[in-house]
Amino acid sequence: MDETVAEFIKRTILKIPMTEMMTILKAWDFLPENQLQTVNFRQRKESLVQDLVLLCESKRASLRDAALLDIICEDVDLFDMERFKSSFEKILRRALKNVTVSFRDAEENAVWIRIAWGTQYRKPNQYKPVYVVYYSQTPYAFTSFCHLKSNTPLLSQALTVASNHHKIVKMDLRSRYLDSLKAIVFKQYNQKFETHNSTMPLQETLELDMHMDSRIIHENKIEKERVQRVTQETFGDYPQPRLEFAQYKLETKFRSDFHGGILAERKEPLRCLIKFSSPHLLEALKSLAPAGIADAPLSPLLTCIPNKGMNYFKIRDK
Amino acid sequence: MEPATDPFVTPSTGLGSAALRQRPPSSGPTERPALLPGACRDEGGALSAAMFLYGGGAKHAGSDWFGFEGVDGGNSTLVCVSERRGVLAHLERLETQMSRSCKNLEDPPRETAESDLGTKIHKLRCLRDKLRAEVKQRQARIKASTANAEPDQTLEISEQEAVGGKEENMKAILQAYRFTGLSGKRTSRGVCVCISTAFEGNLLDSYFVDLVIQKPLRIHHHSVPVFIPLEEISAKYLQTNIQHFLFCLCEYLNAYAGRKYQADQLQRDFAAFLAGPLQRNSLCNLLSFTYKVEPQGRSFPFCARLLYKDLTTTLPTDVTITYQGTDASSTSWEEQRASHENLFFTKPLYQVFTSFARNGERLDMSLVS
Repeated sequence: MDETVAEFIKRTILKIPMTEMMTILKAWDFLPENQLQTVNFRQRKESLVQDLVLLCESKRASLRDAALLDIICEDVDLFDMERFKSSFEKILRRALKNVTVSFRDAEENAVWIRIAWGTQYRKPNQYKPVYVVYYSQTPYAFTSFCHLKSNTPLLSQALTVASNHHKIVKMDLRSRYLDSLKAIVFKQYNQKFETHNSTMPLQETLELDMHMDSRIIHENKIEKERVQRVTQETFGDYPQPRLEFAQYKLETKFRSDFHGGILAERKEPLRCLIKFSSPHLLEALKSLAPAGIADAPLSPLLTCIPNKGMNYFKIRDK
Repeated sequence: MEPATDPFVTPSTGLGSAALRQRPPSSGPTERPALLPGACRDEGGALSAAMFLYGGGAKHAGSDWFGFEGVDGGNSTLVCVSERRGVLAHLERLETQMSRSCKNLEDPPRETAESDLGTKIHKLRCLRDKLRAEVKQRQARIKASTANAEPDQTLEISEQEAVGGKEENMKAILQAYRFTGLSGKRTSRGVCVCISTAFEGNLLDSYFVDLVIQKPLRIHHHSVPVFIPLEEISAKYLQTNIQHFLFCLCEYLNAYAGRKYQADQLQRDFAAFLAGPLQRNSLCNLLSFTYKVEPQGRSFPFCARLLYKDLTTTLPTDVTITYQGTDASSTSWEEQRASHENLFFTKPLYQVFTSFARNGERLDMSLVS
C-alpha cells in the first residue's frame, strides 16, 4: 500500500467523530470484526488513527477501499452561521459570566465578532475589546491583539468547537492589514495565470530607467538583466501583500570564515533577534536586489514569507 | 673603436650610408643636446639607429657617447644621445624621439587632410544621389508592374493573407475554447488549466490551476477558493487519474458557482419577496431566509431552510418550509407549504420566485375579474 493511500485513509478516519467511529468502520466492512476488537477505542484520536492505518496496511488496502470509506463517511460541512454564533456565545458565557459578545455579518461568508472581556468580579471592559473575523467553511480566523492573554485559550476553544474543528493552532503571521493576511492565507496574491485570452507578451522586455539620457550606456547590462529576471521569478509580477515586520529569533552557533575569533569559539549557541521593519516589507525586499543593495537571489529565509505564511521565525541549529 | 665590429651597432640602411663618428664627451652627463628636427624619412630607421646606439652605450656604461650622422640625398639628421643613465631615462628619450618624428610626418599633411575630407564628402554626396535615383527608378518600376496586375504577385499576396487568416482563426478557436468549460494552455513548467463555470447558459467566474509536470505532479498555484476541497480531490486523483481530477474539480466549481449565482440573484432581483436578510455560508450550501408570496404581502411570511448536502449539485437535498402565521393549521396554507417545498426541490431559486410572481399576477387578475 503506497504512501498516498495511507495518508488518504488517515485523513478520512481523522474526520470521523469518535461517536460514529465504530458504526462507520463496521459499515465499511474492510477491517474484520475480530481485528477491530483488538484496537483500543478509548485512546487519543491520533493514536487510534495510527493503529487503524497500520491495520489497513497489513491488509493492503487499495485506493478503491479508501474511496469507499470516504463515500461512507462523507460529512459535508454544513456551516450554519446562526448555529455558530449561538454555540460560540454559549461557550464563552459558560466559562465567564462577564463577557459581551456581538456579531456582525460582513461580506457573504465572514462574521466579525466583538468580545469585551471582564473577570469574575468586574464588568466587561468595553474600551479594550478583541475582534475576531471568521470565514465560514475555512480553517482560518483572524484575531486582533488581546491584552488579556489569559483569555486566549478560552477564545480558541470557543472558536474550535463552534466551527466544528478539533484543534486550533496559532500561526506566526502578524500584520496590520487584514486584507494582506487574507491574501497570504487564502493564497490570493499570485493571481496571474497564462491563458490564450491574455495579451501578456511572451518575453518581458527589460525596462531600464526611461528618463535616462540615451548617451548613457549601462556597462553591466547583462548582470542587471539577470538580477531582474531572478527577482521576477522569486517575487512575481503581482502586488505583494502588505506586512510591516519580519522577525527572526536565532539560536545558532556563530559561523564565520575566519578561523578563531571570540565568537567562533563559543560552544553555546548565540541568541539574537533580527527584526526587519518597513511600511511595506515585501515590496522593500523585492527592490533590494535591483537597487544593488543585496545579491540576487535573496536568502530563502526572506523569500519564503508569503509561501509559508509566516513572518515570525525561530531558527535553531539542526 | 671600430663601429663595424661592434656587435651592438650596425649601420641602418634606411638612412643611406652613415658614417659613425665618435665624438668626445663635451660636457658632463647632465647635458642633453637637442635633437635637430630635420626631415626624417624613416622613423623606424631613426629609432632603430638610436636603439642600436644605445645598445652600444649600455655595454660601455655611459662612458662614451656616439653621435650618429645619417647622410642621404641632402637630408641629414644629427642625432645625439646624451649620457643620462637608466631604463626610464632611455624610455623618455625614445618617447620624445617618437613624438618628434610623428610631428614631422603630421605637419605637412595637415593642409592636405582638409582637402582630402572635402573630396570624400563630395564623393559620398555623388554616391547618395546615385542611390536615390536608383531607388526612385525601382519604385516606379514596381508601380508600373502592379498597375499591370501581374497574376503571380497577387497570388503570393493572397496566399499570405490566407495563412494570416488561418492563424487568426486558430487563435480565435483557442480563445473560444474556454466556453467549453475546461481549457488549458501550455506553460514553461507544464500546463495552466482554466475552468470556466456556467449556470443555465450564463457564463460565470473562471478558476485556474497551474500544474507543474514533474514526478509527482503538483499544483504550482491556483485561484480555487479555499473552501472548495481542492486538497482532498487532488489527494484522491491528481497522481493517478488526472482526467478524473479535473472533471471532479469542474463539478465542484460549477455547482458552487451555480449555487452562488442563485443566491446572488435572489438577493438582487427578488429582494421584494424577502422579508429578512438572506443567510448563506461560503459554499452557499445552506440558505436560510423568510419570504412572502406577494411582495406587498399582507400574508405571513414563510421560513425556508435549504440544504445542499451534495456539493456537486445546484438543487437542494433538504428543504424545510415552515409557516409562522396564526392560521398555521389551515389546509390551504398547508397545501401551499407543500407545493413550495416541491418547487424548491425541483427548480432553481429564480424560477421558484418567478412562478410566485406569476401566481401573484394571476391572483390579482382573478380578484379584478
